[in-house]
Amino acid sequence: MSEAVKKVCVIGAGVMGAGIAAQVANAGVPVLLLDIVPRDATDRDAVAKGAVAKMLKTEPAAFMSAAAARLVETGNIDDHLDRVAECDWIVEAIVERLDIKQALYARLEQLKRPGTAMSSNTSTIPLGHLVEGRSEQFQRDFLITHFFNPPRYMRLVEIVRGEHTDAAVAEKVEAFVDRFMGKRIVRAKDTPGFIANRIGTYWLAVAVNAALDQGLTVEEADRIGGRPMGVPKTGIFGLIDLVGIDLMPLLSKSLSATLPAGDAYFATVRELPLVDRMIAEGYTGRKGKGGFYRLDKRPDGSRAKLAIDLASGEYRAEQKPAALPPAAEKDLAALVAVPGKVGDYAWTILGSVLSYAAMLVGEAADDVVAIDDAMKLGYNWKFGPFELIDRLGPGELAERLRAEGRAVPAILDTAGERPFYRVEDGVRQYLGTDGAYHDVVRGEGVLLLEDVKRRSAPVATSASAALWDVGDGVLCLEFTAKMNALDGEVAALIEQAVALVPGRFKALVIYNEGSNFSAGANLGLALFAVKAGAWGEVEKLVAAGQRAFKALKYAPFPVVSAPSGLALGGGCEVLLHSDAVQAHAESYVGLVECGVGLVPGWGGHGELLDRLAKLPTMPRGPMPAVTRAFELISTAQVSKSAAQAKEMGFLRASDGVTMNRDRLLADAKARALALVDGYRPPEPPVYRLPGESGRVGIAGAVADFHRKGVATDYDVVVAGRLAEVLTGGDADLVDTVTEEQLLTLERAAFLASARDERTHARVESMLMTGKPLRN
Amino acid sequence: MSNVVIAGYARSPFQLAGKGELARVRPDDLAAQVIRGLLAKTEVDPAAIEDIILGCAFPEGEQGLNVARLVGLLADLPLTVGGMTVNRFCGSSMSAIHIAMGQIQIGAGEAFICAGLESMSRIPMGGYNPLPSPELAAKSPGAYMGMGQTAENVAQQYQITRAEQEAFAVKSQRKAAAARAEGRLAEEIVPIRTKKGEVTQDGIIRPETTAEVLAGLKPAFSADGSVTAGTSSPLTDGASAVLVTSEEFATKHGLKVLARIVSVGVAGCAPETMGLGPIGASKKALERAGIAAGDLDVVEINEAFASQAIACIRDMGLKEETINLDGGAIAIGHPLGATGARIVGKAAALLEREGGRYALATQCIGGGQGIATVLERA
Repeated sequence: MSEAVKKVCVIGAGVMGAGIAAQVANAGVPVLLLDIVPRDATDRDAVAKGAVAKMLKTEPAAFMSAAAARLVETGNIDDHLDRVAECDWIVEAIVERLDIKQALYARLEQLKRPGTAMSSNTSTIPLGHLVEGRSEQFQRDFLITHFFNPPRYMRLVEIVRGEHTDAAVAEKVEAFVDRFMGKRIVRAKDTPGFIANRIGTYWLAVAVNAALDQGLTVEEADRIGGRPMGVPKTGIFGLIDLVGIDLMPLLSKSLSATLPAGDAYFATVRELPLVDRMIAEGYTGRKGKGGFYRLDKRPDGSRAKLAIDLASGEYRAEQKPAALPPAAEKDLAALVAVPGKVGDYAWTILGSVLSYAAMLVGEAADDVVAIDDAMKLGYNWKFGPFELIDRLGPGELAERLRAEGRAVPAILDTAGERPFYRVEDGVRQYLGTDGAYHDVVRGEGVLLLEDVKRRSAPVATSASAALWDVGDGVLCLEFTAKMNALDGEVAALIEQAVALVPGRFKALVIYNEGSNFSAGANLGLALFAVKAGAWGEVEKLVAAGQRAFKALKYAPFPVVSAPSGLALGGGCEVLLHSDAVQAHAESYVGLVECGVGLVPGWGGHGELLDRLAKLPTMPRGPMPAVTRAFELISTAQVSKSAAQAKEMGFLRASDGVTMNRDRLLADAKARALALVDGYRPPEPPVYRLPGESGRVGIAGAVADFHRKGVATDYDVVVAGRLAEVLTGGDADLVDTVTEEQLLTLERAAFLASARDERTHARVESMLMTGKPLRN
Repeated sequence: MSNVVIAGYARSPFQLAGKGELARVRPDDLAAQVIRGLLAKTEVDPAAIEDIILGCAFPEGEQGLNVARLVGLLADLPLTVGGMTVNRFCGSSMSAIHIAMGQIQIGAGEAFICAGLESMSRIPMGGYNPLPSPELAAKSPGAYMGMGQTAENVAQQYQITRAEQEAFAVKSQRKAAAARAEGRLAEEIVPIRTKKGEVTQDGIIRPETTAEVLAGLKPAFSADGSVTAGTSSPLTDGASAVLVTSEEFATKHGLKVLARIVSVGVAGCAPETMGLGPIGASKKALERAGIAAGDLDVVEINEAFASQAIACIRDMGLKEETINLDGGAIAIGHPLGATGARIVGKAAALLEREGGRYALATQCIGGGQGIATVLERA
């Protein structure tokens, strides 16, 4: 088990090494980051130190908290390499040169403790070559751990075990990478490029060549090769811009050097004068002067998006590609059947890439699941290659390949007309190379709602939420609307859950598997009601939400929320009303209502105030918690991690953090069950609030911000409403304010904001452009 | 009545709040170390001290309770030495000196430590619980107005351009940098022990400041204003102390007398232009001393903001060559409660060093007032 990994050494402080070290630190584990001594250095640790300093500045951030950054100790390989003896896992992430790696290993062999795991982050060099000349002990301790960039955010790690790798050593590393670093592990075979980069590189090469050959614009290529195939909307050329155009020839070179003769990749290698010229002129993508796309600043400060003309090599204004037939958006068979260049291009990509992936079953990975996982987690594809084949039709794919005289991969023959995935008795199964279906097995201790939903019916549903029995007496509330937005339907189901749990269940977990826990209240719906002048409806919605959230809070059973991604506005208020939160490390939490001219409406004011007032670091007196809550809400601050949400006060110090997204539900469930014995609902808080005096103080500060030009005219108005609630309205220092009184103030402030036309303008702007309006 | 003299002056290094080297030092500890340093420097018999009068603008948290008494205990002063905390915002520790003078003259003691402290890192400006009177805020909004806004008001009223303010700030930085480089500040500084080692030097002075750099800064308080961070005194951590005694006491104990206090004054003014406070207060003090502004050889005027310092200098007709010879608060820093004792101590030390007869130390005070002290060379 991974408790054995108490300290890690990362050698190589480049983008990958430094990022890996940061993620180890994010897990709360100390890490030693070493790199070479720069020539003529005054500070011999300058390279590693510089890497950490750079990470502290770049966005998206590599570190989840300042505390994590402090866990990285820097050094150099000339003076500090012997300190690998302190470490339980050594990760090598130096330059991709076999001779240099081998020389380093020869030194490490003398210094590391026998049995200490040692892995390389190589992306191309086979393991067999790396350990040449090393002792048997070294080979037992050695494996490849291939992370993706950026290591904090990309969830894939490909792990390659060598012929001599000790299973116990590999399992120790895997357990750490899984539970502490939060990655999903895909076991790859010791072949060039492993899985994701081998297919990914081939995919991009095929798609670029085909765009050139078939006369597509970059916009058309990205449109066809993007969303309809479940590929992020950057598509082909947008993705190359993102990773760096200069990386293409490097990848091509290293893959070409190691791939077996006859690999289909070789057929894609050709001179690309346009690409060579772009690199030479510094057009290396987003990090350079621009790439296939370029953003130019106009004299008036607005931005113009340009794209390169693949034929002439000149930039021109971006051209919106023609719309695809609606069926082709979702149905791959329909997409490849579109006559003309749309269908031709789609087929060129799918026919080549899917059959390439199919060829690799058995060679690069044991099964189709590993290949699908690798592409989904390493390249953010929505569907893996075999899921795409199922959507296209395995029989149809084989038939068309055959008709074109192309080789049909063995696994396609094995499949025949059968899909690669099926659900049998509520269990997802995949087609093995043996022609039989096997259960898709989740990692030990992994519980996914996706699986629960496949094998059972919901306990109850509403239009925007559902209740599921996740076992052991735990009920799970899932949000189901777009962006998991909250509305009256959610509130109603919460009340239903509160009534349902006692007797049938022991605890409630609020969890879902969307990319975001909840982006907050359904603004569109709210705006509709407001515009229709349905004040009664709006008021009812607010009151119903308040009632439902308080019902959660005072329910006679434990409630644990388990967010991942955004938990904003109402989503944050759900967390604030829970007995405990088990948060995915990548949780972005905040009360952002002021951005659209509103104030929190579902109990957020009181809950945040109570939490902040109870922080041990909060100074005494009526103002500090009020001021802090005011700052957090009025400026719509959102945490950039769960760790930061704790620092800000949205989460309690005692709340749990799960690094691996796949383990979130299981952890939340365990947390809820641990609270069951002797559970007593919380006592309602009593507030001592400063009333008008506090409001005058806040107003002074707001006026200063307005004068500085930081706060807009309407910001001042919204801030006044917010302050009215947070300071307790007519409260006097010597009185106490009840939760109920605060809720009444909150409703009044919310409704005043909802009635204000300046709020409507902000909401409309947010709905139309996704950007806040600064009125 | 006895003559009252300044018989010693010391201060801590001044460091930027938040990121400076004193951010992690408790203010009570800081003041205790400065007082120990003053005692060592003057070699005065601690048992002869009547009282510690300590100024602080936000006496809360670590500088709360009766911090003067606590500092005395921390500094291992004899238990017989008293302690009293004074708050007149930025004028606090100058008031401490005035109080000591009064006490000496009514025969209520012969030797006082008049000190000031402020950790702007550790205690927020405005305090933890700002609770303005709604009635007063409505009636006299200036009473709670941010200091930056008052500086803008003064700039407007006196038509002081941004360029003039910047030229003033550059000059302050030059003077302070030269003073530090030539070792003229070292003699007043008590090195402060911290967990990370000893802090011996001021940390705020920026010799490289130029008018061009300052011209590039954004207005700090008002989108269309003229006052920037470069023409304002920064948030500062620091402590200061002077030894105030009767002239007889100083002679009897063989103390080195820097200057005699001739007269003092305080005067209120409009809160919205609190930066003009020195004008009324200095007028009173000068009249009481029976001298005119032209008689002054040394002037220490606190540079809360360049705009208000320029306005006061212009209004009072002070001589350029007498002003803040070793730089002012824009360059050195302004730990609110500690500034009064610093500028009185500094004025006394400058009289002693530079010669001349009269000195004026004066400063503005938030809420709308000024305070002034006239010294004569001993």
